[in-house]
Amino acid sequence: MSNLIEANGLTKDFGSFRAVNDVSFTVEAGEIFGLLGPNGAGKTTTLRMLSGLLSPTAGEATINSFSMQKEQMKARRSMGFLTGDMDLYRRLNPRELLLYFGKLYETPSSELKDRVERLIDAFGITPFVDRHCEKLSTGQKQRVSIARTLVHDPQVVVLDEPTTGLDIMASEFILQFIRQMAKEQGKALIFSTHNLTEVERLCDRIAVIHQGNLVYLGDIDGIKSQTSQDTLPKAFFELVQDESLSLQN
Amino acid sequence: MRRHIIATIFGKELKEVLRDKRMLYLIILLPFFLYPVLFTLIGGVGASQQEKLLNQEIQVWVSPSAEGTGIPAMLQQDPSLKVELKDFEESDLDTLKRTIGIWLPTDYQEKLATGAAANIKLYADQSQDVLNMRERMLRTQLSALNDQILQQRLAEKELAADFATPLQIESVDLSPEESGNRMMTAFLPMMILLFIFIGCIYIAIDITAGEKERRTLQTLFTTPATTKEIVAGKFFAVASVGIVSATMNILSLILATQIQAYLLGEADAGMSLSLAPVAWGWMLVLVLLTTLFIGALALAVVLLANSYKEAQSYVSPLMMVVLIPSMMAAMPGVELTLQTALIPVFNVALAIVSIMKGTLDTGLLAVVAGASLVYGILALYLASLTFGNENVITGEKIDWKALLKR
Repeated sequence: MSNLIEANGLTKDFGSFRAVNDVSFTVEAGEIFGLLGPNGAGKTTTLRMLSGLLSPTAGEATINSFSMQKEQMKARRSMGFLTGDMDLYRRLNPRELLLYFGKLYETPSSELKDRVERLIDAFGITPFVDRHCEKLSTGQKQRVSIARTLVHDPQVVVLDEPTTGLDIMASEFILQFIRQMAKEQGKALIFSTHNLTEVERLCDRIAVIHQGNLVYLGDIDGIKSQTSQDTLPKAFFELVQDESLSLQN
Repeated sequence: MRRHIIATIFGKELKEVLRDKRMLYLIILLPFFLYPVLFTLIGGVGASQQEKLLNQEIQVWVSPSAEGTGIPAMLQQDPSLKVELKDFEESDLDTLKRTIGIWLPTDYQEKLATGAAANIKLYADQSQDVLNMRERMLRTQLSALNDQILQQRLAEKELAADFATPLQIESVDLSPEESGNRMMTAFLPMMILLFIFIGCIYIAIDITAGEKERRTLQTLFTTPATTKEIVAGKFFAVASVGIVSATMNILSLILATQIQAYLLGEADAGMSLSLAPVAWGWMLVLVLLTTLFIGALALAVVLLANSYKEAQSYVSPLMMVVLIPSMMAAMPGVELTLQTALIPVFNVALAIVSIMKGTLDTGLLAVVAGASLVYGILALYLASLTFGNENVITGEKIDWKALLKR
């Protein structure tokens, strides 16, 4: 299968602080790739470099064979991006919001309306489709947000903590949709979360970032065997534990 | 730049503004009702205070030498004046409130009879509003008495009434008919610039720092819209609201002064504009170019803030950029020249003053328009630098060196 996402030596400095150091990985079509790491590890910075929001100090991000640095517009057209730092326009309703982003991605108007209606239907948005986004619940907002990332039918989807703050029903809905996007529609998907149970259920491979460095890249069984632990949470903790934070006897 | 992308961003921003009741009240409805209500209220309070001052009873001491002259009778025509013939010194009035003294010399009548001049002194504590007003009224009455005595003297000498005024000085106002009145000329440039600023600044904050705070700005920057297209779309929204706000404010202000003038029965006292079509054309061009500069500058600066609250702290310094030059333009003797035509904001304020005075120096106005266009484009460039900076968009610490790099 072809690589739809390529991170090659991504490095990002903020002044004298190196937030991300030489991170490289690839994600194939139809693959769900988990990006893990404790808070402040550099996950969001890595994802922002992949999306073109931040320019890497060194390295390159390639999306669907287009360099995010050299062919940014083409690369952006191939990507749907959602992080916890992104919210919805509060005075637009979900339909208006989806149409707005569809137009920004230059989706042909003949296709756009049908695609928006299909997304509204697929994400169960119909009951609140005419309500302004500021009046939606967290779960409803998240459904609209994910629909927004898909309005231009991208081949690459990046979701940063998409289930945070959601109840179990809403989370389950989103997780099933993620699986469907990758396995049935062949999209390459990066899934960043702190919920390791979700990672075990969904991800084909994972990368663990700690203090800006890529400390593991491989499948879930691999991290367990590398750390000699029997569960993913234990393996993860073993890999990223900071001695200064360990419990004192 | 793709026009349909700019139009999409502009349309969305405008839709959100029109749905924001707070913004609508602030920009359109408030100014439309504020001035008529405010002016009517101030006018009403002012008129009632004036009436109160006129009806307040005042003690008037007049030197006894006035007895037998027309002065006491003249004063007694006003029922609110309690006239008393009394010998007094200046120090007697020091501690008394609402008392005016009219001092006449003891030989007052003799002096008048012999054709000499008699000295009259008016004593009043003019720090009291009521006495200040009454002193002016008494002075007017005594001046009328002076004219009357002069006419009598001239008649006795069989001299013409204008014998004592050999020079009849008349002042003819040569200002063009097509010009605004003095009140308009002094205030309107400042009002126009201020209202454009107020109209621009709040929407600029809402669609930049406000969007950062609401976490919607980053999403826009992950789409294939270019920085220039985003700046253009947002700028047109800011400029449109700025112009609408300025228009509403000025119309409301003119309407308010007209209402007040009508209520006071002084038809000519209100603000009015009677300008030639070409002058209106120049005004329109200057307003549009100023909106370009102010709107773009507001966008560039407030985007640096990460929250609505932080952006509001930028409002006062930015307002000074508009207020100080427009206040300076209202100063006497300051005129539009080739040098002043190049100073941003100040040049537009001076040009508006010049247009309102009916002076249309097309060459200088073209220089002002050209300079304003250049400043507007520079401000837009600055806005595109700010919008193109990843640290500004993602809310990271701003690297000022990187900000100025393309």
